[in-house]
Amino acid sequence: MSLVTTLLDFLPEILLLAGALLVFLVDALGLRRIEVVGSIAVVTILLALLFVFADLGFAPVAFLAAIPPGQIDVFPPAGSTPLYWFTSLGLFFQTFFLLAAFLVALASMSRPSRERGAAVFYGLILLATLGMMLVAVASDLIFLLIAIEVVSIPSYLLVAYTRRDTRSMEAAMKFFIVGALSTVLSFFGASFLYGAYGTTNLFVLASGSAIANGAAGGGGFPLLVVIGYSLLIAGLAFKITLVPFHAWAVDVYDGAPDDVSAFLAGGTKKIGLFAFFLVFLGPVLFAKVAFQWFGGIGPVSFGPVLQVLLSILAVVTMSVGNVLALMQKSMKRMLAYSSISQAGYMLIGVAIGTAPALTGASLQVFAHVFMKSGAFLVVAAAAGLGVGPLIADWRGLGQKRPWLSAAFALMLLSLAGMPLTVGFVSKFVLFSAAIEAQGYFVWLAVAGLLNSALSVFYYGRVLKVIYFDSPAAAPAVPAPEGASPAASGAAAGPDHTPTAPLALGGLGYARAATIAIVAIVIVVLGIYPGPLLQPLAAAAQHFIRLGL
Amino acid sequence: MTSLSIVGFVGLSTALLAISTFGILTRRNFILLLISIEIGMNAAILDFLYFAAFPTGSHYFDGLQGQSIAIVLIGLAATEVAVGLAIVLALNRLKGSINVAEASSLRE
Repeated sequence: MSLVTTLLDFLPEILLLAGALLVFLVDALGLRRIEVVGSIAVVTILLALLFVFADLGFAPVAFLAAIPPGQIDVFPPAGSTPLYWFTSLGLFFQTFFLLAAFLVALASMSRPSRERGAAVFYGLILLATLGMMLVAVASDLIFLLIAIEVVSIPSYLLVAYTRRDTRSMEAAMKFFIVGALSTVLSFFGASFLYGAYGTTNLFVLASGSAIANGAAGGGGFPLLVVIGYSLLIAGLAFKITLVPFHAWAVDVYDGAPDDVSAFLAGGTKKIGLFAFFLVFLGPVLFAKVAFQWFGGIGPVSFGPVLQVLLSILAVVTMSVGNVLALMQKSMKRMLAYSSISQAGYMLIGVAIGTAPALTGASLQVFAHVFMKSGAFLVVAAAAGLGVGPLIADWRGLGQKRPWLSAAFALMLLSLAGMPLTVGFVSKFVLFSAAIEAQGYFVWLAVAGLLNSALSVFYYGRVLKVIYFDSPAAAPAVPAPEGASPAASGAAAGPDHTPTAPLALGGLGYARAATIAIVAIVIVVLGIYPGPLLQPLAAAAQHFIRLGL
Repeated sequence: MTSLSIVGFVGLSTALLAISTFGILTRRNFILLLISIEIGMNAAILDFLYFAAFPTGSHYFDGLQGQSIAIVLIGLAATEVAVGLAIVLALNRLKGSINVAEASSLRE
C-alpha cells in the first residue's frame, strides 16, 4: 500500500484535522465570531460524513469512495499484524460519531455571536471527533488506546474551555483525574497482554492463542492474560461509565457547559463501547479452551467467565443507574444517570456476542446519540430561556413552549423505549437477541425490561412536571431571591454579553433546527427502521466473522 | 540482565502501579496527583520494555514493537501532564487553591 492510498483511506480524518487547524487559524486571524468558526466546523463534519457514507457504499455517493470495497470486511493477509483495519461496523460507528458531533456543532451556533472561546470549542470538538473516528478503525490495542487518548485529552479541555466558571473547572479536574487513572490502568493491562502474546494486534489477541498455549504449558501466561484483561475492563469501563466506575460521569455532565455535556454523553462515551467490541468480543467468541486456573479452580475457559462478568456489569450498571436517576432533583444529573443505565443496555451486546446482539447494541448507540445529545441540547436551550437547573423549574413549560416541550417529551419517551420511537426499536432488537441466545442471557432481557419499566417512572415524572404542573404553583422563582440555585446553572455562560435576542423567542434557528432534526429522526426511524437495521445487521455479521 | 526473573520485574511494575493508583485516589494536592499519574505511566512503559527484551515465547513476538510503544507512551504521558497542568493553572487562577478536596461545588 503506497502512502497516497493510505492517506486516501483516511480522507475523512484528514478533513477533520484540516478543519480543526483552520478553525484555530481563523481564530488567530481575529475572525472569532461563532458564525465563522461554527460554519467551518459544520461543513467539515458534513464533508467527512459524506466520505464515510461513500466508503460504506451508500449508493448516491458511492463514486466518492476512497477505500476499495474489496478492502472492507476481509481478513488481513496471514501473518500480518495491521494497525488499522476497515470493517463496515466500524464505518457505521464513524457515522454515528460524526452525527453526534454534527448535532452539537450545529446547535452551538445559536450561542451568542461574540462569546469567548468559540473557536476553542469548535476546534476541540473536531479534534475529539478525529480521535473517535480512529477508534472505529483500530485493529491494534495500542492504536486503540492512543485513539482513545486523542478523544480524552480534547474532552478534558472542552469541559474547562470557558475557564471562568468554578463548576465546570471542577468538573474538568475530576474528569482529568479519572481519565488519567483509566489511561494508566488500560496501558498497564495492555503491557501485560503484550507480554503474554508478544504483540498487541487485536486479531491475534482475539484468537486467544496464548491462553491455549498457557493452558497446555501450564506457564504464567494465563495469569498475565487474566490480569491484563481485568485491568483493561477497569480502564475502559471508566470511559463507558459502567457502574463501579461511574461516579465521575454525573459530576462531569452536570458541571460541564450544556453543549459539551451533550457531546460527552451522546458522542465520546460511545468510543468505550466500540473499544469493548474490539477488545472483548474476540475472547468471548474464541477463548473456549478450558484451563486450570490459579488456586486450582477449573478447568474453566476464559470466554464464558468473561461473559458472566460482562453480564453482571451490564445488569448492575443499568439497575444502579436507573435507581439513582429516580432520586435526582436536577435535570442534568437525572439525564446523566439515565445515560449510565443506557451504557448497561449497550454492554448486553458484548456480553452475548452474537450478531443480532451486536446489531442491537449498535442500534442502541445510534439511538442514544440522538436521544441523549438531543435531550442535553434541549436542556441547554431551556437554560437559555431562563429555566433553572432543577426538574421542578420546568413546570408548566408545556404551555409556554409547546414545540420545545413536545420534542423533549419525544426524546424522553424514546429513552424509555416507547413504541414508535427509535429507542423502542433498538431495545427490541437487543432484548430479542438476548432471548434468542438462550441460557442465562434470557435474564439479561428480563433485567433490561424491568429496568425500562423503572425508567418510565422517572421520565414520566418529568413529563408530568412539564405538562400537568401549572406554572403558577411555583412561587415566582425568577425573582432575585430564587436565583441562588439557578445562578450556578446560569453561570455556565459567564461571558454572555447582552446581545440581540435570538430568533424564535430566544431559541435561535440553528438550535431549533437541530432539535427538529433529532425529533424527526427519532420518529422516522422508529416507525421505519429497515433502511438502517438491515445494513447494520449485515455489518455486525461481518464483524463477528472477522472475530475482532 | 538475565538475572532478573519475570516475576521480579513484573512485581516491580505492579508495585509502581499500586503506588500510582494509591496516590491518585488519596492525594489532595493536584501536583502530587500529577506525579502519581506519571508513576503509573512509567510502570506501563517499564513493562513494555521488559517484555520487549525478554520474549515469553509467542511466535508473533516483535521486540521492536514494545520499544516503539514505550517511546510513544513517554510522549503520551507528557501530553497528559501538560493538559493537567493547564487545568491546575486555570483552577488556581479561579479559586486560589489546587487542593482537590476543596472542589465540592458539584453536589446534589
